[in-house]
Amino acid sequence: MKLGAAIFTFLFATAAWANCPLDLGRGTGWVVFSAHYMIAFRPDPPRIEVGEPFALLLNVCTKSGRPAELVGINAEMPEHRHGMNYRPGIVPGVDGRYRAEGLVFHMPGRWELSIDVRDGEETERLTHDFIVK
Amino acid sequence: MRRALLLAGLLAALVAPAAAQAPPNWSEDEIRAVGRHGPWPPPAVRDPSNRVSGTPAGIALGEHLFNDPRLSGDGRMSCATCHQAGRDWSDGQPKGIGTVPLDRRTPSLWNVGYGHWFGWDGAGDSLWAQSIRPIVDPREMANAAARVGRLLREDGQLACGYRRAFGVSPGADDEQLLVDAAKALAAFQETLVSPRTAFDDFRDALVGGDRQAMARYGASEQRGLRFFVEAGNCSTCHFGPRFTNGEFGDVGIPFFVRPGEVDSGRLGGLARLFDSPFNLLGRYNDDTTGASARRTRHVQRLHANFGEFRVPGLRQVGRAGAYMHNGSVGTLEEVVRHYSEVSPDRLHSDGTPLVRPLGMSPQQSTDLVAFLRSLDAEPPPRPAPPPLCP
Ligand code: HEC
Ligand code: HEC
Repeated sequence: MKLGAAIFTFLFATAAWANCPLDLGRGTGWVVFSAHYMIAFRPDPPRIEVGEPFALLLNVCTKSGRPAELVGINAEMPEHRHGMNYRPGIVPGVDGRYRAEGLVFHMPGRWELSIDVRDGEETERLTHDFIVK
Repeated sequence: MRRALLLAGLLAALVAPAAAQAPPNWSEDEIRAVGRHGPWPPPAVRDPSNRVSGTPAGIALGEHLFNDPRLSGDGRMSCATCHQAGRDWSDGQPKGIGTVPLDRRTPSLWNVGYGHWFGWDGAGDSLWAQSIRPIVDPREMANAAARVGRLLREDGQLACGYRRAFGVSPGADDEQLLVDAAKALAAFQETLVSPRTAFDDFRDALVGGDRQAMARYGASEQRGLRFFVEAGNCSTCHFGPRFTNGEFGDVGIPFFVRPGEVDSGRLGGLARLFDSPFNLLGRYNDDTTGASARRTRHVQRLHANFGEFRVPGLRQVGRAGAYMHNGSVGTLEEVVRHYSEVSPDRLHSDGTPLVRPLGMSPQQSTDLVAFLRSLDAEPPPRPAPPPLCP
């Protein structure tokens, strides 16, 4: 709840991001952001099941309004110190949209998703935690 | 006052050992975790990469081929020689015996259709591709596509069964006929679904909150189940209704085949997968959407794959004759002792071990074995298959 409010304030305070579409359809998903980037994403199918392949639809925006590039996506289980057994492929769409195909969370527990994005020279990693049961 | 205290003390003394015997109280999280091991049975298998999957004519042809020794090079060995219906679709041996002794145990075929990687090393990405391997492997049935093709063309019954399953007469392309035979074999194997068990009745009662039905499942089994999903962490790998996540792991089973020779497990399996003309990226995949090949397209080779083997499902596990990929563990009690005492040095991976010595008490071990045995049930007798084309 608090976080939602924070995101909202943040969004409205940052006019350049006003035209970064966060809704990727179906009205579900997550938003992660840093000082420079904002990324909205949702899984397809909408519910991530242990052991079942899924894709992520992502929308990558920058504060400057310049187009940014999604350079990598991966996930690991920090407690087990192992990653996925599968390497996702990234398919770029239009307007900063991407589809990452071929993710599988093969065990229940905490998975940390890392999203590597680039705008010009610098690459930045944003992360998001999933708990799958 | 004093008498009351004394009485309380006596009661406590009476109650304490009883508590160790009592079934656990189940928390919301535990109920959810147990619930994930069902419901059973799952919906029937339908494999989009196999156009005769789920079709009665494909299944019938597959059952006949499964029992037919003419599928082997010397005409003496069928699939059923090693995967015997009366032995839970295995052979009761620690390791398989083909034309020569094999290095791995013959897995049971119960529930095999629900998997996505096949063989202990996952070298097969479909049940039909996996069914080609024993036919042409010189250490197993030692046959060749040309002879399988000729058998399907020249045997009247099989040719008729083929026509009913595939809608055309067996053609001249031997490799195509080998693949089709394997697809019929797969359609048959997909129907091998293990029966419901005492565990399934308990699982449904627990999820449905039916205390009376829950009480029919022993207290020892319940404690073992709780250990399985909680302290033992077994569900991390033995996940879902089949008690496997279908992936690979290293639980510290020695992987030396002979002095100086190791079974590299998943690492070698991936190499064989990509070398195979029959994998799901090849031309024999009947699924035109590409969805069934997703895992094959994205799977990656990792250092940690060395010495990993597929996580076996645990339904009917107590009925097996030996355990692990190489049959090196003789009984369920010994499997549990392995998990209780496994030395972290034995693990081949360097991550935080998912498998660590659990140091179980004798009671905990007994309970865990009791739970594992509650995953067994006597299957109903199988009628002989009807003739293909009477
Ligand atoms: C000589 C004994 C033998 C014969 C004959 C045999 N198998 Fe097997 N089967 C094995 C062994 C051993 C394995 C394990 C192989 C491995 O992991 O490399 C196996 C594995 C399998 C698997 C993988 C199961 C799983 O859980 O992944 C399938 C499916 C299978 N066999 C089907 C067949 C079919 C169909 C035939 C007949 C065409 C057949 N087998 C003939 C011994 C045999
Ligand atoms: C890291 C994943 C993992 C965990 C955690 C795990 N297992 Fe296993 N289990 C496996 C793998 C992989 C094998 C096969 C190993 C081999 O053949 O080398 C196996 C084999 C078995 C077998 C033998 C089955 C057969 O058919 O051979 C049993 C029984 C079993 N595990 C029970 C358990 C129990 C009980 C626990 C918890 C105490 C547990 N496992 C925890 C991965 C795991």
